[in-house]
Amino acid sequence: MYKYIIRRLLIFIPMLIVLTIFVFGLIQAAPGDPITGKNFDPNIDPEVFERQKEALGLNDPIHVQYWNWVTKVMQGDFGESYIFKGRDVSELIGERIGNTFYLGIFTLFITIIVSIPIGIYSAKKPYSILDYGATTFGFFGLAVPNFFFGLVAIYVFSIKLGWLPSQGSVSSPGLTGLELFLDKLQHLILPGLTLGLAGTASYMRFMRSEVLDVLASDYIRTARAKGMTNRSVLYKHTLRNAMIPIITLLGFEVGILLSGAVITEGVFQYPGIGTLFLSSIGNRDYPVIMAINLMLGFFILLGNLLADIFYSIVDPRIRYD
Amino acid sequence: MELKQQETMDTNIEVPIKPDKGNSPFRIAFKRFLKNKLAVIGVFVLLGIILAVTFAPLLTEHSPTKSNLLLIERPPSEDHPLGNDSSGRDNLSRLLYGGRISLIVGFSAMIFTLIIGVTLGSIAGYYGGKIDAIIMRAADMMLVLPFLVLCLTIVAILERVNVGIFVAIIAITSWPNLTRIIRGTYLSLREQEFVLGAKAIGASDFRIIFKHFIPNAIGPIVVNATLMMATYIIIESGLSFIGFGIPQPTPTWGNMISEAQSLRILRNSPEAWIPPGLAILTTVLCINFIGDGLRDAFDPKSNRR
Amino acid sequence: MKAKKSWLVMLVLALVLGVLAACTGNKEPASSENEGASEKDPVTGGTVVGAMDTAPTGLFNPIFYTEAYESNILSFTHEGLLTQDKNLDFIPNLAKEWTFNDDQTEVTFKLDENAKWHDGEPFTANDVVFTYKTIASPGYVEAGGVRTQYVERLVGYEEFSTGKTTDFQGVVAVDDHTVTFKFAQPNVLALSDASFMIIPEHIFKDIPIAEIPEAGASRNPGEVIGTGPFQFSEMVQGEQYVLKKFADYWQGEPKLDSVIWKVVDQAVILGLLENGEIDFVADPNGFQAADYETVDALENVEIIEQPDFGYQTMGLMHNHRSKEDSEAGTINPANWTVNEKLKDQKVRQAIAYAINRQGLVDGLLYGRGIVQNSPIATQFWAYDDTTPNQYEFDPEKAKALLDEAGYKDVNGDGFREDANGKEWVLNLNYPLGNQIRERSAPIIEEFLEEVGISIDLRQPKEAAAYFEDLEKNSQDWDLYLIGWSLDSTDPDPSGLWSSMAGYNYSRWNNPKADQLLKDAFTPPDAFEQDYRKQKYSEWQVEFGEDLPSVILYAANSLWAHNKRLQGIDVLPYSFLNDTHLWYVTE
Repeated sequence: MYKYIIRRLLIFIPMLIVLTIFVFGLIQAAPGDPITGKNFDPNIDPEVFERQKEALGLNDPIHVQYWNWVTKVMQGDFGESYIFKGRDVSELIGERIGNTFYLGIFTLFITIIVSIPIGIYSAKKPYSILDYGATTFGFFGLAVPNFFFGLVAIYVFSIKLGWLPSQGSVSSPGLTGLELFLDKLQHLILPGLTLGLAGTASYMRFMRSEVLDVLASDYIRTARAKGMTNRSVLYKHTLRNAMIPIITLLGFEVGILLSGAVITEGVFQYPGIGTLFLSSIGNRDYPVIMAINLMLGFFILLGNLLADIFYSIVDPRIRYD
Repeated sequence: MELKQQETMDTNIEVPIKPDKGNSPFRIAFKRFLKNKLAVIGVFVLLGIILAVTFAPLLTEHSPTKSNLLLIERPPSEDHPLGNDSSGRDNLSRLLYGGRISLIVGFSAMIFTLIIGVTLGSIAGYYGGKIDAIIMRAADMMLVLPFLVLCLTIVAILERVNVGIFVAIIAITSWPNLTRIIRGTYLSLREQEFVLGAKAIGASDFRIIFKHFIPNAIGPIVVNATLMMATYIIIESGLSFIGFGIPQPTPTWGNMISEAQSLRILRNSPEAWIPPGLAILTTVLCINFIGDGLRDAFDPKSNRR
Repeated sequence: MKAKKSWLVMLVLALVLGVLAACTGNKEPASSENEGASEKDPVTGGTVVGAMDTAPTGLFNPIFYTEAYESNILSFTHEGLLTQDKNLDFIPNLAKEWTFNDDQTEVTFKLDENAKWHDGEPFTANDVVFTYKTIASPGYVEAGGVRTQYVERLVGYEEFSTGKTTDFQGVVAVDDHTVTFKFAQPNVLALSDASFMIIPEHIFKDIPIAEIPEAGASRNPGEVIGTGPFQFSEMVQGEQYVLKKFADYWQGEPKLDSVIWKVVDQAVILGLLENGEIDFVADPNGFQAADYETVDALENVEIIEQPDFGYQTMGLMHNHRSKEDSEAGTINPANWTVNEKLKDQKVRQAIAYAINRQGLVDGLLYGRGIVQNSPIATQFWAYDDTTPNQYEFDPEKAKALLDEAGYKDVNGDGFREDANGKEWVLNLNYPLGNQIRERSAPIIEEFLEEVGISIDLRQPKEAAAYFEDLEKNSQDWDLYLIGWSLDSTDPDPSGLWSSMAGYNYSRWNNPKADQLLKDAFTPPDAFEQDYRKQKYSEWQVEFGEDLPSVILYAANSLWAHNKRLQGIDVLPYSFLNDTHLWYVTE
């Protein structure tokens, strides 16, 4: 097992390298560059942009550009952004990763506290009114596009009722301590709910189906036959077994949440990694795209590795050799 | 929806049951399915939707793509029961014709994902070892590959994005989740007595996969397939919102909803976004009810008898 | 039993949707709490909040910033020697007065002695020299600077910027408060050149030019120093930018305590204006034309609407640059090949007649814009709205012109063939990034097909890809949509439309037009505005005849502010001026 984990960890490195080559090639294959068409002011001589491209090394062959990038990354330098002139990529990501992280955690928290109890209840009383209600809500959540739910939420809770802030991650600079924490929390509520909607829906469905499966399995029937109460059957055996795949899924979710919040972050002008990624793609800000990718790649690979390890712990029949 | 692939459902069925000779598992399943009222209703409503979008030209005389400067954002009228959009196009005809595209996108992306996912998942899960490792690392790579970058590059290089290309992008980026799940199910099936038995009497790999593995994995496959289809319809709308979807003027339910980008339309023109929203919701609900029905029907342990 | 339950599902569904619909149904906008706000008394102090829809990249240095979002902040914190008034004439700002020498090659400015930097240091002639010297320095462009247009006419620019000399002669400090600009030739744009925002020498003098963009003095609150009425004091990167009043401001202490810029999504600007969370919205995007009536109905909000300096246009490719030239970035009309598909002037004119441009304005812009006939902003004295052909929408005339040119439908497919009877399809390209423009493309296609021109409407591309193609890979393009935003300082259109201009994407090569543009710029005649006006008028006629481009429309700038914000004095290009006079009423 440990050998397996170490081997998998070692495989990370070539995989990440392949990933960066692939993404670098892809993004270079797309027409456009960080300078052309960026500032369209007829007073600026196009010659100026040509000189800037030359200075940034954008006219070098792709493999040279890639090599320059890789050698710098090896030394821990992700370079400077082309668009946010004069700013280090690591600094740019650094100031946003926290926000994305809070949003991710908050969303997961909402997802879990809503979806798991409802999912369990639905499974305990399948085809009951609550089950149907939850099902409908679940699919409603799946069927409503996020940006749309976000806009409705802003309209109702921010503009009409004035309960919650709708934009950004804090209300003013200079807050500290508890005040800052509460303020940030307030700003998380609407984007978190929006982002969590689809997740909640599918986890709820998922939990329901897991619990149903476990309840029908032989060992639960055996436990029941031995005279255990429903309650202890549910909590002692069912939940533990049903939770394991959920945790596996949550492993995936971390990577997804890091990258996936593009639209929600946009609607709420929440400064996180998602919007940075989207605008970097539009602007061909190669160093930022590459760094975000590398980071996401690492987290997703790690998530997958954890998932595989969980699988073998849960089901010892699965062998890795 | 967000720009992520729907996390697929892993129902992780552990104890397989050998199909009962005489009464084919599909017949049992069909009978069970018929007992599920919601699923049956789902089938009929979905059929209705499919009929409506198929015969769209009979239901509306307006073109879904023709702009009209004089009708921009007009409220509903006798001639245009759902009003007109920001380019003066008829909302009703966009709803009907858009349904074609959305359903085709959802359905074909689902089919392609299934084909890739089930094939690779079967190979990986059945044979294990080196092949398994290669496929799973490839799956990891695909999961890591940013969907947005892929979309953008393909759009930029190909100049013309049509439904086919869009479907291909989705399928190429979303098979890994399904593959992982199928593989996981197979890994636990591999060591079961009946499989070992089949191997011992010299059944071919192909036969074992088709006769024993796939029927036992049908539950997770079906549930995932229905969820995927719903998700793809939504993904298209989200991509439209940030400008990477199926380009205008081709109508889809997704890009119709993404027209509701401002509070003004949200507030003043519900006729513009409620119908496509309801259409997506109804379709997704139907597909999922059908999916639930199928799951219960194929899952021998289901509580519902 | 089962049936009843599925019925319940539907009920729940209906309820959920009903609630949603109720939340979003028609409601009368805004309460009337703010009624009569404008009659209330001014209060001292106070804070106003402005909204922009995209975060600035964070480079708050006048000589290096490139985006309108930074400019929003810099217009509060930094100033130039001159500014423009309502008629776009230059008026004193940091410079009190100025005199030209006899041959118009030098202009000497007297600076205001009271002006101070935010850190208390006095503002002097050396700061002016330093600013211009830095822009002219070698390495400025490589460090990311794009403002060389302000220095390239200075004497000795070429030698200094290429490092041949270290002696900068273009701008000279005569004494602490007198500075002279020296130009290589008599300069029609002397005042415009001298109007650039000034940066403090004492802050930047020890920083190598390549490091200026990353220096704290170019980006951090408290460290960005200007002479303007407000000082950049705090920020939440990407979200909020706080500008605190500069009490020692040379034109008098600002009335407001602070101005805050918030980054807000375009989709919710309307709602935030309504509930008073934001007080004003300005360039680059203002609010959307489609929202005009809704904003107009808000009792607490006032709209500022005026023509914009930019315009949207559909270029007609006269020539194509050779592939080699495109790659090398050279402009050499001798290597151009004629675009056979659009070579007939009558055909081009027919295209102009076939498009209902007023219809585009009324429909897509909800009437919030104007039809413009030449590529000079209508606010300028140079714009001629009478002599050039106005191309009123006239499809019949378009058809007649096409018939005349021999472009007729000979095979009966409903579309015209070219004069030789061969298939004739025009490719129409357009970029993403401006919703109105995106919507206009299929409509233009329909207009043109209406008169029998077959159009291949290409898939839109996002800006970065589109402009690269336009520059390097447009050999099969015929029609292309593009928008230009123009400077308010001078109307000269040669940067876009002279044959040698890089941005002349139509590759329009008309010697007569080139000559007119040149004449309008050649001293000494060109110092007479009437002379220039005459030349530009002739040029506009030629433009209209030869049609390198059909100018589609100019959208109005739509800005808005809460009525509690008073003291705004709107200029044709901005209202973020004289902000020290802004005040609020409660």
